Amino acid sequence: MAKGMFVDTTICTGCKACQVACKEWNGLAPEPKHFGQVTGKPYPVAVNFTGNSYDNTGALSATDWRHVRFIEQFDEKRTAGRWLFSSDSCKHCNDAGCLNACPTGAIIRTDLGNVVVQQDVCIGCKYCVPSCPFGVIAFSEKSGTARKCTLCNDRIHNGLGTACAKACPTGSISFGDVTALKKRADARLAQLRGLGMTGANIYGYTEAGGLNVFYLFADKPSVYGQPERPVVPQQRLPVSSAATVLALVGVGVAALASFRERGDREAEEVHHEP
Amino acid sequence: MNPETLAPEWAWYFVAIYFFVGGTAAGAYFIGAMAELFGGAKLHELSRDAFFVALPFLLPTPIFLIADLGRPERFWHLFFSPKEGIPYINLQSPLSVGSWALLLFGLLCLLSFLDNLVADGRLRFAPFARFYNRIPRKTYAALGSVTGVFIAGYTGVLLNVTARPLWAATAPLLGPLFVASGASTGAAAIALLMLWRKRAAGEVFRRLEFFDRLALVTELLLIAAALVLAGRYAVPLVTGFWGFMFWGGTIVAGILVPLGLAWKGRHTEGGGMTTIMLPAVLILFGGALLRIALIQAGQV
Repeated sequence: MAKGMFVDTTICTGCKACQVACKEWNGLAPEPKHFGQVTGKPYPVAVNFTGNSYDNTGALSATDWRHVRFIEQFDEKRTAGRWLFSSDSCKHCNDAGCLNACPTGAIIRTDLGNVVVQQDVCIGCKYCVPSCPFGVIAFSEKSGTARKCTLCNDRIHNGLGTACAKACPTGSISFGDVTALKKRADARLAQLRGLGMTGANIYGYTEAGGLNVFYLFADKPSVYGQPERPVVPQQRLPVSSAATVLALVGVGVAALASFRERGDREAEEVHHEP
Repeated sequence: MNPETLAPEWAWYFVAIYFFVGGTAAGAYFIGAMAELFGGAKLHELSRDAFFVALPFLLPTPIFLIADLGRPERFWHLFFSPKEGIPYINLQSPLSVGSWALLLFGLLCLLSFLDNLVADGRLRFAPFARFYNRIPRKTYAALGSVTGVFIAGYTGVLLNVTARPLWAATAPLLGPLFVASGASTGAAAIALLMLWRKRAAGEVFRRLEFFDRLALVTELLLIAAALVLAGRYAVPLVTGFWGFMFWGGTIVAGILVPLGLAWKGRHTEGGGMTTIMLPAVLILFGGALLRIALIQAGQV
C-alpha cells in the first residue's frame, strides 16, 4: 500500500514548522547559501535573505528538503489581495525521473512507494539532478552524493508518519495511504468549490504517473512554482535513440560514399580477361 | 517545460571535454573501421592512422569522468551493484548504458591499436601475433564502428533525456548532432596525424576530406534544425558569452571557415599549411566549443 502526503495549501499558515521538523529529524545542516560566517561575528548567522516575502530558502536543495513558498497576490493599489502559502517537497512520483536516470541503482522505490537515494551507493554523477521535472533532487558538495526528501523512510517503516506532517499545526500536511488521502482531497475540493473557490484544483493525480505527495491549490500550479505539464524526461528516450540510430545509418552511408573501393574490382576483372 | 529544474553543475573541463574527446575518438575509429571494412588495400594507411588516433584520444576519458563524480572512489558502482553483488545496468539511463559501451569501445580501440602495431612489426607480442588474422580484426572493426557511433551519440541522447529546458527542447537532435560532429572532428584528427607523417596528399587524403565536408554540412543543418526546435529556450546558447562561443567558435571558425577554405582551395593541388592544417585545427576547436557551449548554456 503506497504511503504519501496530501498537502492542503488552503489551510497552510506559513509557519514553517514543517521545515524545522524536517531539518531536526533528518539532521540536515543549514543551506550554506543562506547561513554562514560573516566578518565581525564569531558565530554563523543568516545571510543572503531572499527578499521575497517570508521565504527563507527560496528553493529546495540538498539540505533543504522542505520549502514553504509565499505568494503575495495584490492589486495595483495594494488594497485587495490574498497571501498564498504552499509547503513543497519531493513528490515521490510513480514514474520518477531521478530513479529512471540513476546509473547505479542507488535510487530505489521502497515497498511503501517512496523514492529513496541510498547514500552508500550513490556515486555523485549528478545525472538525476537535471532529470527531475520538479527541480527537487540536488547534489551535496558535503557528502558528494545526491540528496532529497525520503518521505521519512526510517519513520514510516516503523509505524510513524512523516516529521513534517506530525509537526503541522493546521493539518495542512497529512500523511497516510494514498487512496485514503485522495478521498479526503476530493471531499475538500468539492467543499471549496461549493464555497465559490472555482480556481481550486488538485495537483498530482496524473502528473508523472501520479504523485504520492499531492497538493490542493487555490490557483494555477504555475503560481505555486510547479510545472503545469511536467514531462518525465525518459519519455523522450525512444525517439532520441531512434534519431541517433538514423544518424548511424547516415554516417555509414557517408563513409561508404567516401571510402568504398570504387571501380577497382571491375578494372581488375577486365585486366584478368584473356 | 519547467524553468525551475536544477542544473547538474557538471564541470565543463571534465564533462564537455569528455564529450568532445570521446566523440573524436569514436569518429576516428568509425572512419578507420569503414576504411578497413570497405576500402580495400588502398585505404589501409588511412585505417591504420585512424586506429592510432582513436586510442590516445580515448585514454584520458575515464579520468575526466571519474574526476567529475562526487564520490570518485565509488565509480565501479556503475558496473557492479555493491548491494546485490551482481553486474548492474539500467537500460533507461543513457549514462548507465554509455558506461558499459565505453568499456567495450575502449577494449576494441585497444585491440585495433595493438593489432596495427603488431602488423607494422613495431610490437613483437607472440600470443597476439599468433592469433592475428584478417577475420577477427574485421569482426571487431565492425563491432567497434557501431559502439563508436554509440559513444559519440549517447552523449547527445543523455542531454536530450533531461528536464533542462534547452536540452529537452532540442530533442531528438543532439544525438545525431554529436555523431556528425564526432565524425568531422575524428576526420580532422586523422588529417593532422597524416600531415605529421607527411602523407597528407593523394587520393586517400582527398577521400578523407570529402567525408569531413559531408559531416560538416550535416552538422550545420542539424544545428539549424535544433535551434528552430529550441525556440525561445535557445536564448542562453545564442546570446551572451556562450552565444559568442557558439556563433564565433563553432559556427564561423569551426564550420564555415573550414568549408570556405576547402571551397577556395579546391583547384590548387597538394596541401599547404593553410589548406590542411588550419581547417583541421579549426574543426577540432569548433567541435570542442560546441560541446562546451551546449553544456554550459543548458546549465545557466
